[in-house]
Amino acid sequence: MSNTTIEASSSKSGATQSDSAPRPLLEVKDLQVQFTTSTGSFTAVRDSDFTVYPGQWVAIVGESGSGKSTSAMSVLGLLPGTGHVTGGSIKLDGEDITHYTSKQFESIRGKRIGLVPQDPMSNLNPVWRIGTQVKEAIVANGMDVKREKRSELAQRLADSETDGHYHGDDDELFIGSAQLPQLIENARAAVASVTDDAEAVEKAMAHFNEQWVAGSSTRWQVREDLIAAGVPADEAKRIATTYVVGATMDDRIAGLLTEAGLPDAATRARQYPYEFSGGMRQRALIAIGLAARPELLIADEPTSALDVTVQKRILDHLQFLTDSLGTAVLFITHDLGLAAERAQHIVVMYKGRVVESGPSLEVLQHPQHPYTKRLVAAAPSLASQRIISARQRGDAAAADASLDHAAKDAQQIAGSETIIEVQHLVKEFKMPRRKEMFRAVDDVSFSVRRGTTCAIVGESGSGKSTVANMVLHLLDPTSGTVLYEGKDVHSFDRRQLLDFRRHVQPVFQNPYGSLDPMYSIYRSIEEPLKIHGIGNKKTRLARVRELLDMVSLPQSTMTRYPNELSGGQRQRIAIARAMALNPDVIVCDEAVSALDVLVQDQVLHLLNDLQAEQGLSYLFITHDLAVVRQIADDVVVMRQGKLVEHATTDEVFNSPKTQYTRDLLDAIPGGSLKLGLD
Amino acid sequence: MGKYVLRRILQMIPVVLGTTLLIYALVFALPGDPVKAMFGEKPVNDAVAAQIRSEYNLDKPFIVQYLLFLKNALTLNFGNTFAGRPVIDVIAGAFPVTIKLALMAFVFEGLFGVIFGIISGLKKGTWYDSVILIVSLLLISVPTFVTGFVGQYLFGVKWQILPVTAGRNPGFLDLLMPACVLGSVSMAYIIRLTRTEVASNKTADYVRTARAKGMSNRAVTMRHILRNSLIPVVTYLGADLGSLMGGAMITERIFNIQGIGNTLWQAILRGEGTLTVSIVTLLVLVFVVCNLIVDLLYAVLDPRIRYE
Repeated sequence: MSNTTIEASSSKSGATQSDSAPRPLLEVKDLQVQFTTSTGSFTAVRDSDFTVYPGQWVAIVGESGSGKSTSAMSVLGLLPGTGHVTGGSIKLDGEDITHYTSKQFESIRGKRIGLVPQDPMSNLNPVWRIGTQVKEAIVANGMDVKREKRSELAQRLADSETDGHYHGDDDELFIGSAQLPQLIENARAAVASVTDDAEAVEKAMAHFNEQWVAGSSTRWQVREDLIAAGVPADEAKRIATTYVVGATMDDRIAGLLTEAGLPDAATRARQYPYEFSGGMRQRALIAIGLAARPELLIADEPTSALDVTVQKRILDHLQFLTDSLGTAVLFITHDLGLAAERAQHIVVMYKGRVVESGPSLEVLQHPQHPYTKRLVAAAPSLASQRIISARQRGDAAAADASLDHAAKDAQQIAGSETIIEVQHLVKEFKMPRRKEMFRAVDDVSFSVRRGTTCAIVGESGSGKSTVANMVLHLLDPTSGTVLYEGKDVHSFDRRQLLDFRRHVQPVFQNPYGSLDPMYSIYRSIEEPLKIHGIGNKKTRLARVRELLDMVSLPQSTMTRYPNELSGGQRQRIAIARAMALNPDVIVCDEAVSALDVLVQDQVLHLLNDLQAEQGLSYLFITHDLAVVRQIADDVVVMRQGKLVEHATTDEVFNSPKTQYTRDLLDAIPGGSLKLGLD
Repeated sequence: MGKYVLRRILQMIPVVLGTTLLIYALVFALPGDPVKAMFGEKPVNDAVAAQIRSEYNLDKPFIVQYLLFLKNALTLNFGNTFAGRPVIDVIAGAFPVTIKLALMAFVFEGLFGVIFGIISGLKKGTWYDSVILIVSLLLISVPTFVTGFVGQYLFGVKWQILPVTAGRNPGFLDLLMPACVLGSVSMAYIIRLTRTEVASNKTADYVRTARAKGMSNRAVTMRHILRNSLIPVVTYLGADLGSLMGGAMITERIFNIQGIGNTLWQAILRGEGTLTVSIVTLLVLVFVVCNLIVDLLYAVLDPRIRYE
């Protein structure tokens, strides 16, 4: 694969597109999808319209349950369970595929429409090697592993790339791994014969070594690379024709994986999914999705399960690949910022309907539908300021009060002592089957000021949750101390510990897992009061009512069970439970990560209001810098167990000191987009 | 891998010691005098009885008896039965029949259990599935001896297709009905296990991904749904082979098969400690080895499991 060539071509793709006749690749009209349930049928998608043109990125944005994935899956004929299309039409390149039989769908899947699914952890079969699973996609679509299959669009790009010397089929033969050493050797001789500069030869060779990948780079790319390095056209043609004669299946598998950005692909192909990280699995899935060179790729939240920096790298790569192959992408995401950054066109879905669609910037800057407006306002990736408390948000009448409050706030913060102090914290874990210890947390020191929010940011595996668990005294540190109100947490006796537990409460990531499904909401919230022997039945009931009020849930919630509540409601319950004992500190471990943006926004506001009213301190663990900006006063950036940066939120966002923090900030999708909200 | 196998084999030692001691204690605690039982209704001469007691170590304390048994067992000398036959001969005579029966039952339950389970799982919710489910439920809830007698009556007496009992040196046809009866309950469990696995794998994300690749329904079913569904089934089958070897007591009695189960039954009735303990020890060994094989097989089938 030739980077330079493709980068150049991708910049031209826009122009080429506009030259071609604007015939839509995918046209979905008035789509209606229903699921049959025991109580009748449920309409998941109604009157859904969207169009994708060749080579275009179109994003469908919406919260979970909005019907965005369902719409996309009906295009592939892969609706789950009892789902079926009950109305409207789906046209692929002018052909109506709405009522295709399963055999007909088989013939277009992979070959014409590819899929990159959402969750990399569950979408690869654990018992087959990665290479085998890529091979399945090649074999199922009868792909010729010897040569590249290029779309018309991509062929035209190739033609312009080679000044019209593109010869089609044979020019698309791949380098084979068997011929690669000879090819490199001959290329070296050819380059050496045209220049005496040893350094230039090495430079050219380094370029070749990097760019020429067996099973991925083609004859014409090799020829163009040689010509670019100064080799005469005839000689370049001779070398390319002699030594680029097609790849084997294994070469092609490795080539596809390399294209998807997987290093050392030939070895990796022989590994099993469990040996891959989430990011690597997603790359394998991208390789699978593009294996048969489809005209349209459906990317269903392809990076939502990944860390932001990985997310950025993978999307950059996917964009570069689809641009060079001329593949159109239907990009499904819940993140408006991400959609606006990647796609030319945005379709917003809400409760099964398309409520708005248009060019990305248009939708972002002039949202028409109220839902879109809320979405734009709530998108964490687009927010640029810390949330201000309810009192401060209050109307004009409350302005005085809010001023007063703000003044008090400021005073409090300025004069506040530290409530939690972490000193030189180290945690080592024993690795299975290995002698040396793994340092999950390596000499971390920071402090949380009373009444403020301190956020710990980092990618998965950075040790941020381990720190939180040590602060909560759920894990013993290998060395270092955690001070709460100046006292060492890990020297507490039983009674002191109980008292500490009362004042420092956790809220965990998964609102589904942290509430006992057998406990009513009342019992869940009452439990901490009972454990600490506070009040009698009557006062406890009053307290539960008060707490539900505090988290803006109706009193009737008390008698319900967790499975009857939504994710956002459950997280409110978890917060109410944490608040039950009037704690000083709440440790939120990814407390909003599992929630939809709008719900996330509500919960963040709730946390913030509670802080303003009760003077709470938060230790906020998150991987999402955008959330940090909304909630935190201080930020601790962690990477591989080490503290990378510790400063106030403004300092971190405005003048990050380390490259790593800058990378994290750059990775926030939509960070550079301008909004035009009233 | 080698280390793991070695560790597992070493783990067998306490298992075998523990079970033999337990069985020995149980046999020892059985009411009744084995010597008297030998003579049945006839009166016993005290001197003869004492001699027999000393010959079979019955006059020594329990723990000494056990240790003597262990010592002899190490040299593969399991002593004699009360009738004077070497225990090892009795086992050698009975075991091949049991192995034959168990293997036939194993093939029967594995083959039909998996096939019906797959069909049921793939066609979940259809009448086909319902029929298979009801039949499997019936097989699970009806005791083996009922299935056995019904089989004997229908196939043996009424239609006279298969022999009613097996007798000595049974052939394939003699054992066909006993094997089906023996394997029927496990087959029902395998049907249900396979069905659940297939039904849940059918909607797995990686199956959808496989379909999205453009693979044919057949290929997806074979390579993704079945391959993954059969891993727990194979584990169950392996563990079941062990219990088939020892658990044929009822079936062997119904069909009068002179196998290990029948022999064990008689040994317990007669209070023959040595024979009982020897057979049970053997069964424990068979069971432990089967389990080891299952665990190793599991690693072959599921790459996520690696033993070091």
